[in-house]
Order: sequence, then structure tokens, then C-alpha cells
Amino acid sequence: MLVHNVLSRRLGVHIAATVFSLGLLTGTCTAQTLRVGSEIPAQLDPAFASSDAEILVLSNVYDYLVDVDAGNQIQPRLAQSWSVSDDSLSWTFTLREGVTFHSGAAFGPDDVVATFERLRDPDADLPTSDLYANLRSVEATGPAQVTFTLAEPNPFFLFDLTDNHAVIIDSEALELGRVFDGTGPFAVSDYAAEDRMTLRANPDHFAGAPGVATLELIFFAEQAAAVSALRGGQLDLVLRMPTPLFQSLEGARGIERHRVATNGFDLIRLRTDRTPGKDPLVVQALKLAVDREAIVEVVTDGLAELGSDTPIGPLYEAYHRAEVAPPARDVDRARELLAEAGYGDGLELVLHVPDSGDRPDLAVVLKEQLEQAGFEIELRLQPESVYYGDGGWLDVDFGITGWGSRPVPQFYFETMIACGAVWNEAHYCDPDVDALIELAGSTPSENERAAAYAELQRILASEGPYVIPYFFPQFAALRDTFTGLELKAFPGRTDLAAIRPR
Amino acid sequence: MTSSPPRPSRLDGARRVFGELYARPTSAIGTTLVAVFLLLAALGPALVPYGPTEQLLAERSQAPNAAHLFGTDRLGRDVFSRVVAGARDILLLAGGGTFVAVVLGTWTGLFAATLGGWWEEITFRLYDALLAMPALLLALLLLGTLGPSRGSVLGVIALAYTPIVARVVRSVVLSVKTREWVAAARLQGESLAWIAGREILPSVLPALAVESALRFAYAIFLVASLGFLGVGVQPPAPDWGLMVAEARDHVYLTPWSLFFPAAAISLLVISVNLAADGLGRALRSGTR
Amino acid sequence: MSVLRPPAASRDGLDVRGLSVAYGRGPDSVAAVRDVDLHVPPGSTVGLVGESGSGKTTLALAVLRALPAGARIGPGRVTLDGDDVLAMQPEELRAYWRTRVALVPQDPLPSMNPSHPVGRQLAESLQPDRPGQADRDEIDDMLDSVGIGDPRRIRRSYPFELSGGQQQRVMIAMALLGRPELLVMDEPTSNLDVTTEAAILELVRERVRGTGTAVLYVSHSLAVVASLCDQVVVLYAGELVERAPVEPLYRQPLHPYTIGLLDSVPRIGRSKRQAPLRPIPGRIPSAAERPAGCIFAARCPAVEDACRAQRPGMDAAGEDHAVACRRWQEIVAGTIDARQPAPPSFHDDDGADTVVLRAERIDKRFTVRRSVVDRLLRRPGSEVHALRRVDLQLRHGRTLGLVGESGSGKSTFARAVVGLEPADAGRFTFLGDPLDRRVERRSRDQVRRLQMVFQSSDEALSPQRSVGATLRRALVRLAGTDRSAAGEAVATLLESVALTPDYAERRPGELSGGEKQRVAIARAFASGAEAILFDESVSGLDVSVQAAVLNLLDRLQREHDASYLFISHDLAVVAHLADDVAVLYLGQVMESGPAGHVLARPYHPYTEALLAAVPRPDPSAGPAREPLAGELPDPRQVAAGCPFATRCPRVLGPVCHEQAPPQQLSADGDHRIRCHIEPAELERLQAPLMGEEPG
Repeated sequence: MLVHNVLSRRLGVHIAATVFSLGLLTGTCTAQTLRVGSEIPAQLDPAFASSDAEILVLSNVYDYLVDVDAGNQIQPRLAQSWSVSDDSLSWTFTLREGVTFHSGAAFGPDDVVATFERLRDPDADLPTSDLYANLRSVEATGPAQVTFTLAEPNPFFLFDLTDNHAVIIDSEALELGRVFDGTGPFAVSDYAAEDRMTLRANPDHFAGAPGVATLELIFFAEQAAAVSALRGGQLDLVLRMPTPLFQSLEGARGIERHRVATNGFDLIRLRTDRTPGKDPLVVQALKLAVDREAIVEVVTDGLAELGSDTPIGPLYEAYHRAEVAPPARDVDRARELLAEAGYGDGLELVLHVPDSGDRPDLAVVLKEQLEQAGFEIELRLQPESVYYGDGGWLDVDFGITGWGSRPVPQFYFETMIACGAVWNEAHYCDPDVDALIELAGSTPSENERAAAYAELQRILASEGPYVIPYFFPQFAALRDTFTGLELKAFPGRTDLAAIRPR
Repeated sequence: MTSSPPRPSRLDGARRVFGELYARPTSAIGTTLVAVFLLLAALGPALVPYGPTEQLLAERSQAPNAAHLFGTDRLGRDVFSRVVAGARDILLLAGGGTFVAVVLGTWTGLFAATLGGWWEEITFRLYDALLAMPALLLALLLLGTLGPSRGSVLGVIALAYTPIVARVVRSVVLSVKTREWVAAARLQGESLAWIAGREILPSVLPALAVESALRFAYAIFLVASLGFLGVGVQPPAPDWGLMVAEARDHVYLTPWSLFFPAAAISLLVISVNLAADGLGRALRSGTR
Repeated sequence: MSVLRPPAASRDGLDVRGLSVAYGRGPDSVAAVRDVDLHVPPGSTVGLVGESGSGKTTLALAVLRALPAGARIGPGRVTLDGDDVLAMQPEELRAYWRTRVALVPQDPLPSMNPSHPVGRQLAESLQPDRPGQADRDEIDDMLDSVGIGDPRRIRRSYPFELSGGQQQRVMIAMALLGRPELLVMDEPTSNLDVTTEAAILELVRERVRGTGTAVLYVSHSLAVVASLCDQVVVLYAGELVERAPVEPLYRQPLHPYTIGLLDSVPRIGRSKRQAPLRPIPGRIPSAAERPAGCIFAARCPAVEDACRAQRPGMDAAGEDHAVACRRWQEIVAGTIDARQPAPPSFHDDDGADTVVLRAERIDKRFTVRRSVVDRLLRRPGSEVHALRRVDLQLRHGRTLGLVGESGSGKSTFARAVVGLEPADAGRFTFLGDPLDRRVERRSRDQVRRLQMVFQSSDEALSPQRSVGATLRRALVRLAGTDRSAAGEAVATLLESVALTPDYAERRPGELSGGEKQRVAIARAFASGAEAILFDESVSGLDVSVQAAVLNLLDRLQREHDASYLFISHDLAVVAHLADDVAVLYLGQVMESGPAGHVLARPYHPYTEALLAAVPRPDPSAGPAREPLAGELPDPRQVAAGCPFATRCPRVLGPVCHEQAPPQQLSADGDHRIRCHIEPAELERLQAPLMGEEPG
């Protein structure tokens, strides 16, 4: 009897799988299915999400209070409207009504409170603990109203609420990361870890029914494999890929390429709290040795925007100062500086590089350039999990790190550059810089803020221990039987519900 | 018991081996190709037009042409020069590792097997434990701790293959140990070192030669695999495995930057295998 | 039976005319058989005798058309019952092999399919087309007639489960079941123990002869062939030298080679003192060396110039007696002596009584390794008690012959004496001093003085070292010879074993078996040994070579005043060479004493059986008695009591099985017999086995 059950279950699964794969192969099981290639999410608890793949799942299964659109403007989502008190310390949000979670539970202020209480818990060591440290309290102040009270004014507060982790969860949610119950445009119907996730459309979503009935997220360990699957007709959409793969899709039949400029960059940094980075001469030599234009040309095929060693890119139109630039390349001068610093015979450095994206190629080109200026570079490529795991990237003397795009530049300063910041990998500490960051982050005056950012850009471009050669674009490729893709600078935040068959 | 055959000359032995190597087309091809690779490795880097890490930014992603026989990769490096330079690298690493493995394996295997008893038990149980782990896994573990470098890759190859060599040596020793000339040596009061080195070892050499050649082939493959996985030699070294890994993403744009290093790996491994085959046949036909 | 077989009346048997067989092609071809004539009438047995290189196996295989690739049958004609064998086409050939001929080879095991039970293979012989329908009763009858005790069990067994003797019996059964016209037996008893061999020979005599089958019996042993065959054909280096009915051949051999052979075979009853062996000098020419004249000219004592110039034809020398010698008439007349010269006999009974080597209560057991499961379940491991409290003494200047069949423990004993495989208990005393059980722990002096010559000459010398280097090493290492003097010492050594000094440059691979054995002997003497063990050292050699080596050993013993412990399964060789004899059975010394006493009555029942079993080169001798029944018991399961009790024809009763027999001292004093029967009683019961010549 048991055998019979097992057999029939097995049989059923086999039949289903066959039909399923056939459907996948032909791609026309229903034009109502969108198959998206993605990297493998490690875990799906919103509070701990970090990779793009994880964010992709979360942003389509859950909703944010407010979101950033392609033009960097704040849009209402679960919060319909808001007001801020005169002292800029209290923010009151009116919530959308009639919204339900996929399980059927009603959405209300308790859920918002629960979400943020969780995210700002100072005892739990969360990525958002620092971000929401400024929150004094979150309270339900009405049947559809929530009030946030801050300790200090924060002009970017709304942007803070769009943080990747801040999806609204059910106050009674259990087993986050394994049971998915959100308010978003798609509900999870099946999740096979490391293989694929199947989602069905939520027709009652407040923004309207999604463009497709079913969403398939298929996980790939390598982007090259995903792109091959796209070419072969097993996928409809791939949201991230390195430059060569994007270039190789040029002219591919039935595939539409998409590209969006972002503020994401690859950061080359020298640790400044110990030798050799401690010596400003060395930092100068580094800056002088790099040929940023060549890097843009060779590594990104000219598709990226030129960088100036500051995290404020052209995307921040209000703050970007195009005239600020790092010193022009001067290999001889670099050699002199190194000799002065006592490295006349060459400065040996080990460059640690995560082996994803364009960074390996960047490393090789960089090594070539630096060695012309008297550096001796040894490359050490590591898998991302190793480089980012256990804080390795925060310890090494010389490394390349990838930083994703953010809606506002303040994020970079507070997490990367401020003295003692959680992700200050260069261990950079300058009280003047800190003062400027503080000012930019608190002042209500846009002019003051812009001035502070301008000064910061000048300092970093001329003497900061950072080399930022470019701001990379994001690439996506979509089968031309679909339309409606609006690629976001942080690709995981792309709204998949907007995609529909042509 | 036949009557005495006429005396063969000493040169006949070497000539015979050589002849046997070229007797069949497969081993002839293999041997010749291996010789070509060795020649390339020795002389190549001096003769190629470009340096292996030289980035000619104006000539990136070129298909094979007159100036660049194997084309250029995305960073403007001449693929032909890289393949030739990589030959030296891989042959030295694989060869060095194999050499160490053969020396260590023969030394430990010979003495442990000749001594017998507890020595033999302990040594070979230890080697069995090492053998239980796949070579690649062992390599990854070690390189993770030691850090990737040429030296650690060589050490890893030696560690992975010493047990196998010891085992081969042991099997021959066990069959030779009971021969009467060994007993006669014992009766003459010869020391263990003499018996192992002068009585038993010469009988081991033919099998050892063939096994060494085979190990060499495996070592080449292992070095390439480690390079491919990124735990071997680091960029921008012209390691063939590394070149294949780097070219993976660019296979649609610059397929030649993947094809030629991959073809080089396959060709070298196959050639060494074929040559080892021929060598085995040659040595076998010589004994009795 | 679907094959065409001529009715019995018109059967002519096997007829071979002018047959030649060569290996290889063109200028490299070597003739293994040259121009041989042979006739085997149906129902008779012809013995084909020759040493190595004689071509006897090639001839036998040629007749069967079973030669390996690379062999070409040259001119000649072979017919079986009138049918031309050499002209047979594949179809006919298949039928030929299946039903008309049969082969009993030297080693039966490779001829049997290891994955089929024996019964099935027997059925295939009986009914080649439909083995499933073979008559089981007929198979059982045949098995019974070849002496297999439990036919049903044997039928179900696999070949490897049978003992050597049983395998050979099965092979004979398979051959006979097919009722062939021609049966070729190629040394079927060479790998068997003496007692088993006797039983098989008896079987051939009784069951095979007289069935109407033509039997060609190939052997290197004149002794075996004498008792078995109607006619004997002697081959030398591929050529037929003499052909005669068995009586005339042994009574009056005509060809100098045949004469030489008969003179070099050791016989029981003739010791070295009475009748030294007369070996044939020189060596058998290799297949590549073919002189123009008589093939035997280089070694013939009666050679003259005409012999060297032209090859002699086969002359008829009597009824059915043909010989290829031009001087045979002179030999018959006695005007020339065609015998090889006798070596000087130099034996003095110095009667030295000092004991050079004494073994006391030597005991050794081998435990079969137990598996982990056995150990867990505490099952006792099986154990082979190889040596049971063996006591032996080797006296100065004398040769002690140690005789035993397989499983007797003689090799184990030898290795224990020299310390290669230490004994478990007991004591060795050498020249008055105790010997450590392990060779590694003995003093250099002791090691030097006690040496061993091994059995297999193929492996006794290190293949990668030249002869000279091997001898030099022994000289320098053990005898302490100075390196500069070593070269000369090597030359002297080589000469002492009748080899020229240029042998020093050669490697073992270039030497013949006899030459290698001489080098091994030289090595043993190189160290200046006083006591030398010989473990089956002449067992693998051709008769003529063996005789020369035995004489050499004798001479060296005199020259060096050495003492020998000579181990062999060949009782005839031991009888020739030994001054004292000890007989081993399953690890126990059954009888020991001076050779003259052991080989005369009273005999221990086992010695009696051994002596009776040894084939003699004398057709009139006939089978002395019933060969020993049963097989050598499994050495792991020997009960208390006398180990021979299971097979002893004189077993008294339960006492033999339950109680260990006492050591009886015979009236002669030095002669010990381990038996429950009193020596006087034995003497009364037993008939003399040694013929007219008393010990």
C-alpha cells in the first residue's frame, strides 16, 4: 500500500515535471508566464537580505511603505500620504486601506510597527540597526495611521524607508524566510531552494493585477548560464550580467537589451590606518598611477560613466560636480612619490578581488597600470562568499569592492566614509570630513547640503584613499514577446508586475 | 631450460624502447607531441612576439589573424603568446609536483613494503586515508589554508599523488620480495637498504616509469583544474586553466580566447597518455 | 555420433612421415622438428622421449594441429587412420578436434573452464553436440574407473576445487569419454607428487592402454616411459635419433645419445660410490645452430670425421629398431665404447662423526589469517602445522638427503635452518654454537659458513646484475676478499664449476638453466661455506645437465670438505647422492638414518610406498605393488596420531589414528623408524624393493 502511494505520488510528480518542462521548453505553456533568471538567494528573511537575488524576491512578494522610482522620486506604496511635524521629528503616514496579505490577513498599522521594531532592534546585530538607530519610536496612531518619531531631524528619512530591508511583514509572521506572506503583486506558490521559485499573480494588488499570471524565478549559479538559457529560449528575462555578456547579446534575435545608468561603482581602496596606506604619499602615488579613461574603455567597453574617486556620480544631478577631478595620470611623478616614501625599489601589495562582475578584468588592467608606476601587485581572486564573508574585505590592505546604487549619496558617506562606520573598509578617519557628512545629513537647507557635498567631492578626489574609476550601468535582457520592463538602478527593485506580454 | 641464446648488445635496450615508442601510430603521435610541447616550453617564451601579460589596448578582441595567430582577448593580450608561456608554467608545475610525488612515493613505498609488518600497515593505511579523498577536494582544502601560489600547487600535487605512486611501488615490491635472489641477498647478510635499493628497486623501475608518465598527465589536468577554479595560479599569469575560466563569460565575443587554451590542455594530456601507453608497452616487451 | 569414423578394422593409427616444423619466417626461421618419422598403431602406446629443445612438444602439437601462430608445418605428411591431417579444412578440423583426438596436457587447470563445473565439461566430451543429454551414468562410470572416489561430488565441483591428482584424473576421463582415435599425453604427471604420479601411471597402464586408442606419450623421463609404452622414440634437438620397442631400447640402446641418457639417470639402488653418473658433456644445440653432419656429433664419444661431414640416415638395426648412427654395428659388436667417460670416483668412508648442524625439536606453524568476522565470532583460525618437532643431524663431510612430497615441510625446514623464515620453537646448533633463528641476527661468520642454493634457477640470480658482479659481491661481502683480488677469485670460482671466466660478463638472462645453477653453486661456495643446503636445486634441470651438476656437487664436496643438506622430492637423486637420508611426511620425520639402511628393509610404510612409486628406467621391473591410495590430506586438518594413518596400507587399527607413534630404533643402531609396528615385524612383512643390489 505504501509502495502504491509512493509510486503514484512519484508518478504524479514525474508527469507534472514532464508537462512542466515541456512547457518550459516551448515557452508557450502560457504567454502568461514570465521566466526570470536570477542568482541563488542564500536566505530570504527580509531583515538579513543582502544580495540582489534576495531583494528581487522580497520586492515582488512584499511591498514597501514608499518606493523610489526611476527618476529618483519618492512614490507612495502602502503609505498613501504623509506629513512631517514642524520640528521635523515626527512623521505621520496614512496607510492604504483594504489591503490584505496573501494569506488573507488584513494589513494595518500593527504590521508597520512590527516591521520597524524588528529592523531597528539595537540588540539584534542587523544591517539596519544603524540605519534606524535614529528612530525613537514607531506607533500606530489610528486605524490606518502610523507615526515615526525621530531623535534628530533627518531630511532623507523617506529614502531611509525605501531601504531594501524595509518590506512590510505581517505582525504575526512566523518562519520568515521560509513562509512568505506579503502584500505584494506576487504570491509564492512553490519554492525549491537553489532551484526555482514559482509565484502566482495577486489580482487584488492595490496597484492592479500584474501583467503576467505566473512568475518563475529560476536560479543560476553563474550569470553566463542564465544568459545562455535566455538565448536558448528557456528564460524570458535576465536582470544582471557583466559587460561582455551584454555585448554578446547584441543583435541576438528575439531579445531586447536594456540598460540603465546607475550610481553603482567598483571601489578600489587602500587601508589608511596602517602602512603603507597610512602614508599620504603612497595614496597620492596610487591616484596618479591609475588611468581611469583607459579602464572605462577596456573594462566596460565605454558603457560606464567616468568616475572621479568620489561616490557622488552623475546620477545625482543636484550634487554632482563635474569639474571636480582627481589629478591627471602621471606615472613618473607617482614613481617619485613612492621613492620619497621609501619604496624606491617598488611597493609590494596584494590586491584582493571578488571574482564577479567586471572586477577581475578591472584588477588585471589596474595591475598593469600600477606596475608601470613602480607598484608590484599580486592579485588574489576570491569567490564572493569568501571575500565578503567573515569581514575579509574589511581587513585587507588593498581591495576592490562593489557598491550598489543608492537613491541618495548620504548612504555612502554614512556607511563607507564616516569614521567608524560599519562598512568603512579603508578605515578612513578625518574629522573635517566627518563634520561635513554630519552637516549634509542633518541640515534642512538644500544649498548647505549641496555645498557640503561639493567640498567632500573635492577632498576625496584629491586625497581620499579611494579610486573610483567608473559608475557602471545595469544591464538586462528581455525576450521581445514581453514589454514593460523598467530597469531600476538597483536591479532587484525592478517591478516585475509591470511586465506583460506584447 | 633452453640452451644459451647469443648475447645482445647494450644499445639494443635503448634502441628497442625507442623503436617500440614509434611502432604504433598512437604512441608515435603522442611522443612527438609531447616533445613539441617540451620544446615550446623551453624555447617558446623567447620566441613569441608578445609578452604574456602585455595588454595591447588598441588590438583588443581580434579574431585570429596574421599578427595574432590565435587572436587577442578582451584585454588585448595575444592568445598565442599566452598559450606558449602557459606551457612552461604548467609543465614545470605538473612536472615538479609529479617528480616530488614519485620520489617520495618510491622512497616510502619501497621501504615500507620491503620491511613489511607494522611499518607497512601504518604507512599504507595512512596513504589509503589520503587516497579516500578525491584529489581535487584535497587540493581545494589545502589551497584554502595555504593560500594560492605556485609553491602550494606543487605541494598539493605531490601530496595527492604520493600515495598512488607508493601503492604501485608496493605491488611490485610484494611480488619481487619473495623471489629467490632477494632471499639469497638476505642470506648474504645484506642490509635492508641494499636489498631495497639494489635488489628490489631495479625491478620496480619499469612499472614506476609508466606510472610516473601517467601521473604526469593527471597532474597537468589537476593544475589546469585548479587554475580554472581560481585557486591555483592567480591572474594575470598565463595559466591555461585560468585562461579558460576568464574566457568563459566572453565565449560569444572572443571564442578563440577559450578554445585555444582548452585545446592545449586536452592535447597535452592526451599526448602524455599516449606516450605513457607506448612506454608501458616498450618496457613490458623488454622484460624476459 | 555424427562424425565419419572408419570402422575399427581399417584403422591404421597415426602415421607421420618426414615431418618438419619451423617457427618464424624467412632467414629467422628455426626448425624445431626436422624430418621425423613416427608410427603409432591403434591400441599401442608410443613414448616420445626428449630433453628440452628436443621438439617433442612441438611434434605432439603438430600432430594435433594445435601449434601456436608463427609455427609452420614444413614438408611432411601426417595421417590418422588414412586421413590426411595436414590437409584438413576448418570444418573437418573441428570434427577432428572434437571427436577424433584428445590431449591430456601437463598442467590440467588451464585446460578446464574455471566457470563451469567439471561435470558439464565431461558431458561436453561425451556428447559434443548435445551436452545436456549426456548420459550421467556413463560419466560416473568413467570417473570411477579413473579412480575418483565420489563421482557425484566431483561432477558438481569446479576445477579449482580439485587437487592436482584429481584434476589430472578428470582430464584423462574427459579424454577417454570422447573415445578418440589418437590420445596425446604431454607429460601429464610432471607436476604431481611421486605417490600421485604412480597412481596416475597405473591408471594409464590399466585404463588407457588396450582401449584401441593410439596413444602418444610425451615425456622427458626414460623411467616413466619404460613402464608404460610399447615403443619408444628418442628425439634430440628436433631430430629422431633412435626408435625401438621398449625392451630392446633399454636392454641394448644403440644410439650414443640414448646410451648417454640412460647413464645419466640416477637410479635407486645405485649410489655415487657404486656407479657414478656419466653426464653428457656440452649442451643441447639451440634451434638456430644446426650442424651439417650428425646432430649429436659435438658431444658424441664415438664421433669420427664422417659423422661431422654428413647427416646419417635412419638405419634398421633389428625388428622395428631404427637408429640414426653410422656406427651402430660397431656399438652392437662392442668394438667401440659409446659410453661417456666415467668421472673419477673418490669416496672414502672417513666416517667423520662430528655433527656440523643439529636441529632439535624444530616446530613451525602457519596460521591462516582470520577475517574480522571470524575474530569476532571467535572461530579458531585454521592452522598448518608445517614442522612437528623435527630432529635432524648433519655430519661433517656427508650429505644428508631430506625427502618428502608436497606439504611435507621440507622447504619450510630449509628456510628455517638458514633463518629466512624463523621457526617457532626448537633449537639449531651449528658447529657447536647456537644459531639465532633469524638470519639478520646471526654473526657474519655464521652466515658465511651456512649457505643455501635455491630451487628455481630462473630467480636465484638477480637479473640486473652480471654473473661476475654477483659473485664479487658474495666474495667481498662474506669471504672478506679484497676488492682488487676479487676479479681473479671470480675466475677461479667459475672454473671450479666448469664455466669459463668470460661468463663473468654475462647476465643471467643469457645463461641456460644448468649454467645458472652452476653460478648459484659457485656463489654458495664463494663465501667459503662449510655447510650448504640445496632446496630442490636440480629439480628443474634436464637429465644430462642434472647429471653433470650432481657430479659437480660431489666433486666440490670433496674439494671443500663441505657438508650438504640435500632436499628433494626425487628419491632417485637422493638415493644417488645422499650418505644419510631422512623422510618427511606432513612435517614429521618418519624415518632417518644412513642411506644404506633407510633404503633397505625394514622400511617405514611411507618410505616403502615412496620407493615403490618411483618409476624405474627398466621395463622389466614392472609395477612393484599397488600404488598408495587416497590423496595427501589437507595439511590444515591433521589429527593426532600418526599423520600417515589415513593412507597407510599397513595400518594396524585405531592405535595408529589416536596415538603418536614411537621412535623405533632398528637393530642397526643409527636407523630410526617412527611406527607402531616393530622393525622386526616390518622386515618380515616387506619384500625387498631395491632389486638385487643390497644397500
